[in-house]
Amino acid sequence: MPSGALLFQSIILGLLLGGLYALLAAGLTLYFGIMRVVMIAHSAFLILAAYLAWWTSTELGIDPLLSMVVTVPLFFAAGVLLQRGLLSRLRPVTLTMMSVLITFAIALMIEGLLGYAFSGTQRRIQLSYGTASLELFGARVAVVKLIAFGLAAVSLAGLYVLMKRTQFGWALRATIQHRDAARLVGIDTERTAGFGFGLGLATAAVGGTALSLDTTIYPSLHWHWIGPLMAIIVVGGLGSVAGAAAAALLLGLAQSLLQIPMGATWAQTVFYVALFATLAIRPQGFFGGRLAQRF
Amino acid sequence: MPNASDATAAGLRAPGKWLPLGAAGLLIVAIAAFPSLAPNPYILSSGVIVLNWAVLATSWNFVGGFTGYISLGHGALAGLGGYATGLLITKAGIPSFVALLVAALLVAALAVPIGFAALRVRGASFVIVSIALVLILLLVFQSWSSVTGGSRGLVVPRPFPGMLRPEHHRVFFFLYGGLLLLALATWWLLDRSRFGLGLKAIREDEDKAESLGTPTFAYKLTVFVVSAAFTALAGGLYALWFGDLDPVFQFSVLTGSYIVLMALLGGVRNLYGPVLGAIVVGVALEYFKVEFGNSPLHLVTTGLLLGLVVMFMPDGVIPSLGGLVQRLRKGEQSSIREMTAADLAEQRKREREGASS
Repeated sequence: MPSGALLFQSIILGLLLGGLYALLAAGLTLYFGIMRVVMIAHSAFLILAAYLAWWTSTELGIDPLLSMVVTVPLFFAAGVLLQRGLLSRLRPVTLTMMSVLITFAIALMIEGLLGYAFSGTQRRIQLSYGTASLELFGARVAVVKLIAFGLAAVSLAGLYVLMKRTQFGWALRATIQHRDAARLVGIDTERTAGFGFGLGLATAAVGGTALSLDTTIYPSLHWHWIGPLMAIIVVGGLGSVAGAAAAALLLGLAQSLLQIPMGATWAQTVFYVALFATLAIRPQGFFGGRLAQRF
Repeated sequence: MPNASDATAAGLRAPGKWLPLGAAGLLIVAIAAFPSLAPNPYILSSGVIVLNWAVLATSWNFVGGFTGYISLGHGALAGLGGYATGLLITKAGIPSFVALLVAALLVAALAVPIGFAALRVRGASFVIVSIALVLILLLVFQSWSSVTGGSRGLVVPRPFPGMLRPEHHRVFFFLYGGLLLLALATWWLLDRSRFGLGLKAIREDEDKAESLGTPTFAYKLTVFVVSAAFTALAGGLYALWFGDLDPVFQFSVLTGSYIVLMALLGGVRNLYGPVLGAIVVGVALEYFKVEFGNSPLHLVTTGLLLGLVVMFMPDGVIPSLGGLVQRLRKGEQSSIREMTAADLAEQRKREREGASS
């Protein structure tokens, strides 16, 4: 039996990790809600943002967090372009399948270009506060992990306020709930859908910057993220932001706790076990997920 | 008697009875002749690799072509077939080709629970599971090194120990050729069966198919298992031929994406589409490997090609070219992909006229 302090530390780390998962899963959920698109390239954009943060830090010598000033608007624009230029032009009948292939192709291209531009070498940001940590009831928590969690929490809260309190958020939710009805009440669903995609991809920019603070990155890293993220949105119930957030925290916690007896590699399997169990037992997901029934 | 131009027009629109048979004859002749035409063993081994791709793409097409469910994880099923064959030979001491068959049965059995989880709902979950399958198997086969050899790989003993390498390539070329013909024949039979009709109904409109009484889940699961078995046979044969398995290559997401690219490029609604795609993409892959080695630009090119195919010819080369020819001929083309009722009526009318004149 591991000691109480170790257990507590794992719980804290698991929750911090879960926060990042929740932010990224929120992006995936947005895409799925808007267009029933499973966006494989989400995690590739995540790694791209991490690389841009690393580049900012090593080449320009400024804090990697500042890279978000550029990456967030850039990714927002890329998301709008992706939806308007590619995904909305696919045949509606085969949209789900073909959009997977398109986004998969984009993921391959990003991975290839990253490998070409920065080589396959593992990269890591050196920060002055990189090794600092806080004592919290006997658990040591790295400051960078707290910053990453803070970024995720602030963006998630921002997303929540945007969705619930602004006119754009209402339009977006209406588009997700019933596109035809939304169009009938005068919402420009095409434009809203494009902006929704931009918003989703912006979460990848924030997430990637947060990730780069304390993770060693390499071009093919995105495969290690897309699996867990997809498991999270299925367990949460495809299309439910709250469900995805709950599943993200739960699975992040489970992964962190299982690392104690099983080691880091085998602990990752918890996502896949959860994915298969969910699909076999309750395909619509464990937390809401009204949409998932038919997808 | 219908005149010659009628026959070619009908042949283009709905390849008649003789076109597939003629193509089959051509394929058999090509497979039989290639080993003696190949100038050196390297070209012959490339031929084996291309045939491997052709079998994989055709096996994939059982699911992708009939039901429209796109699997990105078939590379993992092939890898599983390869590892199962290798492990059965090295750990259980079973003769090579018996091990190959047992491995295919094992993978088919494993495909039942995988398919059960993946196919209960619609496409999105299926794709997610297919990618997850690759990732989880890579994780397991790399980490579980006491059984699988981990990253050091697994050496599979050769089935014909005394055989020289060119001869070995030749034997496996014919084995793959036989497997390809078997897969094509099975696809052709399914295509004409009631079962195949049900699968195509799922592709066109799963809700309607279900409401008309097609047991959609059972059909999807069955065809997934058949597809997995053929894929595993190809993977197992590869293990016997190549003799060395590495989890990074056996459970690579790229394998699955090459398969999808081949099938889509050739055309998933056509018996020979995946074979054609496999020849084009497979030869290109081998060529680029020789010219440029393994570089990250492989990924970029694959991604770009896949994107272009999905955007501009999601039905593949054969239907696109056929459509182009037809458009040039007639000036307009229907959007319905197989055959419209009007076309059918017209064709019947022509046949009647042909019979009466």
